[in-house]
Amino acid sequence: MSGSTWGVKIVRVALLMALVLVAASCGVGQQPSQGGGGGGGPKKICMMPKLVGIPYFNASEKGAEEAAKDLDVELVYDGPTEAKAALQSQMIEQWIQQQCGAISVAANDPDALAPAMKKAEDAGIKTSSWDADVAKDAREVFVNQATFEAIGYELVDVMAEQTDGKGKFLVVTGSLTAPNQVAWLKEMRERMKEKYPEMSIASVEPGEEDLQLGIDITKNYLRANPDTAGVFGITSVALPGAAEAVEQEGLEGEVAVTGLSTPNDMKPYLESGAVEKFVLWNPVDLGYLAVHVANAQIEGNMPKSGTFEAGRLGKVEMIAEDEVLLGPPLVFSQDNIDEYDF
Amino acid sequence: MSAATAVLRRLKFSREVVLLGVLIVLLVVMSLLSPLFLTVGNLLNTSRFFVEVGLMALGMTLIIITGGIDLSVGSNLALVSVAVGFSYAADLPLPLAIVFGLVVGLAAGLFNGLFITFLDLHPLVVTLGTFALFQGLAYGLSRAEAVSDFPAWFAYFGQAYFLNVVPGQLFIFILAVVVVWLILSRTRFGRYVYAIGNNEEAAHFSGVPVRRVKLALYSGIGLLVGMAAVIYTSRVYTARGDSGLGLELDVISAVVLGGASIYGGSGTIGGTVLGVLIIATLRNGLVLAGVPSTWQVFVLGVLLLVAVFLNEFFRRREE
Repeated sequence: MSGSTWGVKIVRVALLMALVLVAASCGVGQQPSQGGGGGGGPKKICMMPKLVGIPYFNASEKGAEEAAKDLDVELVYDGPTEAKAALQSQMIEQWIQQQCGAISVAANDPDALAPAMKKAEDAGIKTSSWDADVAKDAREVFVNQATFEAIGYELVDVMAEQTDGKGKFLVVTGSLTAPNQVAWLKEMRERMKEKYPEMSIASVEPGEEDLQLGIDITKNYLRANPDTAGVFGITSVALPGAAEAVEQEGLEGEVAVTGLSTPNDMKPYLESGAVEKFVLWNPVDLGYLAVHVANAQIEGNMPKSGTFEAGRLGKVEMIAEDEVLLGPPLVFSQDNIDEYDF
Repeated sequence: MSAATAVLRRLKFSREVVLLGVLIVLLVVMSLLSPLFLTVGNLLNTSRFFVEVGLMALGMTLIIITGGIDLSVGSNLALVSVAVGFSYAADLPLPLAIVFGLVVGLAAGLFNGLFITFLDLHPLVVTLGTFALFQGLAYGLSRAEAVSDFPAWFAYFGQAYFLNVVPGQLFIFILAVVVVWLILSRTRFGRYVYAIGNNEEAAHFSGVPVRRVKLALYSGIGLLVGMAAVIYTSRVYTARGDSGLGLELDVISAVVLGGASIYGGSGTIGGTVLGVLIIATLRNGLVLAGVPSTWQVFVLGVLLLVAVFLNEFFRRREE
């Protein structure tokens, strides 16, 4: 009896040892530069997206790596596999132990990350946010991709081009309470009032970031309101949904569609003609800029006003003493969409 | 019979020794991978992240020993977090809001227990239902908004350090470990728990109040979830409807890794605590070693599969 017990013990220990070796080789194989030495390079920038493994944030990583190479700094680009603030806050705390020179985060919740970010600052780490801000007192700089005003205005301008500056419009949002979407809507209404008095938003429908729901809502609305001149889809799920609905109803060219989304999602609709142009910022450049900002923070030469010199992006604007602006939004069309892959 | 139980005891003991060995090997490997790992500051700080999962895992151990399961703990955590945050935002004094949250957690657990015992439904099905139910309630009540303007003292539960190094919540966890361990290994109630897991019907006919024991267990885990929720909410200083989402998997993973059999009848608090520590060590060490999150998930998956395989291997040997 005891003989077989020992056999069991030996097998278990052997298997678990093997497992630990798997874990170890994983660690060494993945990032050899961090396996041994002390702190690696003198400058280490730790950058966190809202989550890893989606095309948008992979695009930012590309830009971040490019900047890290240009500036010769060490970059750690990692985040949770799900868009959850608590997982982010945990990773920030672990990064504090990892001796990052700067931590830059795209926050899933402005307040939930604040305690960890403040702790990082107390530990002498430079802090910043990019893509989505944390509470103002929990970071030194925010790298803003595009102002609400610029996005709202651009969306309306693109739509006006296609409908001669008039008509009634449907807006499909993610949720009625999402702060960025509420802010974009306000700016869109503002732009219409000031520049295109014959344009008006007839209805705002929440698509709940559900593609099928977005398609159904748009279809039903267009059937009930045949005088609709165009549809804005203002999330990366709402826009393809709206375009798909217009396509399924055979209304390409009659009902204009534009909004915010990513190029890979929209390519088929540009090709089919359901969408002519749509708007977003360039996430590659956003990642690139965020690393330049973090580096400037570490070097202690981050400006408080005027412009900030960011490598190949040239001079970008400081729109507040603690806020850098990437620039005007990017308009995608048949002409430039093949240059982007995210 | 007594010889068999003696062997069983020895096997359980050796299982914990093996887990301890794994933990030590992990500590050595991780410290080789990253010079930052084996520092008092890092090890103590890591404990801030496993207390919430650990508290729930204590309750889950007892439930799994009875052959049951509770999939709703993550959703229940969200519900309690929202209950604390929004009752406070609605002007309930914070101490009362915390007590209210604990009551909500307990009530949610009791709700599970009532369905499971009185309607004689399978815990998997019931808690799968309440997993969605509690989550829906948490989202509905918070309307996807967050509360975060808590007074400074609230940080005590999740952010404070005793003597500047020991995270405050570690004390709560140690106390809970001792209490649950005493209940499971030193009381008649604990023997009932094992008896139900070994053979529920036999336990019933030999006078074990099966329903009452199960009700107490599901309510008890609800209370532990409540405590975890208060710590969690304090740690991120924000009450949100998506708090704790997915934590049920971490909790069940830790318990299974700790050697509790999903078929019921076996499991120990010591094993679970080691399971919690191993997962926490692995997570922390991999982050410090710069292993990307996606690969961390992979490594954890391998670890769990091996653990389940070994448990099954072990169980068949016992029979």
